[in-house]
Amino acid sequence: MASRTPMTLITGPLGSGKTTLLRHILASVDRKIAILMNEFGEIAIDSKIIQGKDVQIAELGGGCVCCSLQGEFEAAVREILQVVTPDVIVVETTGLAEPEALIFDIEESLTDVRLDGVITVIDADSLIRFPQIGHTSRMQIEDADLILLNKIDLIETSQAAAVEDKLEAINETAAIVRTVRAEIDPQLLFGIFRDRTATPVPHLHQPEFDSFSILPEAGYSRECLSAWAGQLQEWGVYRSKGFVQSEGEWLLFNYVAGRWEFEPFEADKAALVFIGKSVTVHREDILEALAECELCNTNSSKT
Amino acid sequence: MAIMNDIQKVSDTVWEIPVSYKEGMRVPARIYGTEKIVREMDDAVYDQITNVATLPGITRFAMCMPDGHFGYGFPIGGVAAMDPQAGGVISPGGIGFDINCGMRLVTTNLTWQEVQPRIKQLVDKLYERVPAGVGSTGFLRISKDEFRNVVEQGARWCVKRGLGWEEDLELTEESGCISGADASKISERAIDRGFNQIGTLGSGNHYLEVQVAKKENIFDEKLAERYGITIPDQVVVMFHCGSRGFGHQVATDYLQQFLKVMESRYRIKILDRELACAPFDSPEGRAYFTAMKCGLNMSFANRQVILHRIREVFSEVLGKPAEELGMRMVYDVAHNTAKLETHTVNGEKKKLLVHRKGSTRAFGPGMDELPERYKDVGQPVIIGGSMETGSYLLAGVPTGAETFFSTAHGSGRTMSRTKARKMWRGEKLQRELEHRGIYVRTASWSGLAEEAGGAYKNIDEVVHASEQAGISKPVVRFLPVGNVKG
Repeated sequence: MASRTPMTLITGPLGSGKTTLLRHILASVDRKIAILMNEFGEIAIDSKIIQGKDVQIAELGGGCVCCSLQGEFEAAVREILQVVTPDVIVVETTGLAEPEALIFDIEESLTDVRLDGVITVIDADSLIRFPQIGHTSRMQIEDADLILLNKIDLIETSQAAAVEDKLEAINETAAIVRTVRAEIDPQLLFGIFRDRTATPVPHLHQPEFDSFSILPEAGYSRECLSAWAGQLQEWGVYRSKGFVQSEGEWLLFNYVAGRWEFEPFEADKAALVFIGKSVTVHREDILEALAECELCNTNSSKT
Repeated sequence: MAIMNDIQKVSDTVWEIPVSYKEGMRVPARIYGTEKIVREMDDAVYDQITNVATLPGITRFAMCMPDGHFGYGFPIGGVAAMDPQAGGVISPGGIGFDINCGMRLVTTNLTWQEVQPRIKQLVDKLYERVPAGVGSTGFLRISKDEFRNVVEQGARWCVKRGLGWEEDLELTEESGCISGADASKISERAIDRGFNQIGTLGSGNHYLEVQVAKKENIFDEKLAERYGITIPDQVVVMFHCGSRGFGHQVATDYLQQFLKVMESRYRIKILDRELACAPFDSPEGRAYFTAMKCGLNMSFANRQVILHRIREVFSEVLGKPAEELGMRMVYDVAHNTAKLETHTVNGEKKKLLVHRKGSTRAFGPGMDELPERYKDVGQPVIIGGSMETGSYLLAGVPTGAETFFSTAHGSGRTMSRTKARKMWRGEKLQRELEHRGIYVRTASWSGLAEEAGGAYKNIDEVVHASEQAGISKPVVRFLPVGNVKG
């Protein structure tokens, strides 16, 4: 499964900030990203365009490319995998698209990619201005794993909770992150491991997302680590990622909304990042519980 | 369904939702269809059509045709006449993104018995010559500047270049060239998306079909004859396509512009941002109207070039010029439009901007805009059914005044495209269809599955409801024998 290229879908109504988010991703993520869209937007302006069979490819620098669809979606993705070999594929849908069909296509017909997550960008201001959420927007919200409540600076702080309630009424499991100009910790965007078959975990109305990181230099008991990971949700952790040492090997820890994985990995430095709603409040609880997993012959964890 | 408590039965096929249903409704909403059809409509239709009833300038009713289902802002099947004198608006969501997505019907003087041995060859060649699929580009190579002429001149541009016959124009809504289209109101991006797409079907529910008119499926012999259906088992060609990426971009551009000025400049409050609009009599509204006309013309040109290809293919395969094969147009109708038309409201003649989204204009006999040859019988209305079940030729009727002379446009989906994909497999469907005598070529298996007959309402019920409601009457039902699916 490790060889399947992760694919992230970015959707949201017209003018909500999808292109701004793409720019932010390109500027802040140090991986080889292939963006696939229906038509070249502003992202690929002034780029050299290469004519492929099912896509046109524009080089964006740093190995990243922007591809515009020419033929069938599936064929275009296969061509990108072959020609570009990206680390991640990001698909931007048009603001008018209902993502459901695309999600189905990806999960059904594309065996070389893994749908990692659906990110929906919503304009907070427009939710205040228009009392009803349109049918297309509603479907875009329903399908999201992560919602960026963007342009949050355009509305009063006191209105934000009501807007989040509206979104939660449509999708009770997606994490909602408030953003300005779609600026978000890129750790939150990738590695979501979308799993719609898992029991959804409704999130309670909670304060804003925050994050912290630690450098756990000890070695830990594998069994105890699993038990610890199982508790993270109680402390408000939505996302965690990093490397730890356990029983003589390095493990990559990947945690999203109550689901996690420890997988052997080549690493040389321990580090873990935690992201969640008010997660810093529980920092000590998280560290204490982790310390209990330390194996006796190593140093205690440092932060 | 909760809505059934609020809905009032006006007749067996007309259902009204009063203004008391929702705050801000200026007029009642009316849904056309039998009780069965109305009950089976998804809830979003009620929500959307009553939202439309809140828009400034809406006249008499916000209406939904029997094939209605949810769409972007307005339902597909939505009809709304706005009075510019009363602050009436123009809304891209009320026209649809595939501007002037429409139908064209062409006859032949061939019988099914004559065509049957060549049907595969015909369909294969049509599939080759009329590119289908999402990003398909056409064989017509023109510059972006020339494309600007196309969007201003429509099908007329094609006929001038030998891509059609003079009489094709007369048999196209607006004579294939709506006046007042101005390419300076179009973005570069829209030009980029459209200039190489003339003569292409596109994807989704777009298709090209070879069909047969069987004797038992002729409901009005006189009218059928006037429309050109004159011999037993006559073969006809029907196709459905629109303005491709061009229309889509035009709508997107103006939707974004309207969102910026609607409230701040014009104090228009709407319930759902998908209803974004501007007063028709405003610089923005006028600019969109002009740009939308370019979309209309692009689409007329697209269908004109496709018709030309169809004539070429038939002529090559059957070894006779198209003229000798009797390949004359019956008509070309637009689905997704807003047009200024004169209608009588409470005994008073008024110029109204009639939005028809997934709805066909159906002018009754005697109306000025009809071509000479149909003036006494009314406008031909072409209704595309699903690729499995058949399609219809209807006629406009005098009682159509009730809906500003609008009727259904197809059978209307009963389930989402995704749901259809989960239920059918394209490859298997193609084999089954071939077994039943319908030869299908497609650019996309999943796209084919989306268009399975089972994903649509029963076309006969839709046509029957339109007849009962007095908004059009059936003339001929056609059965599919070959299909190129976009």
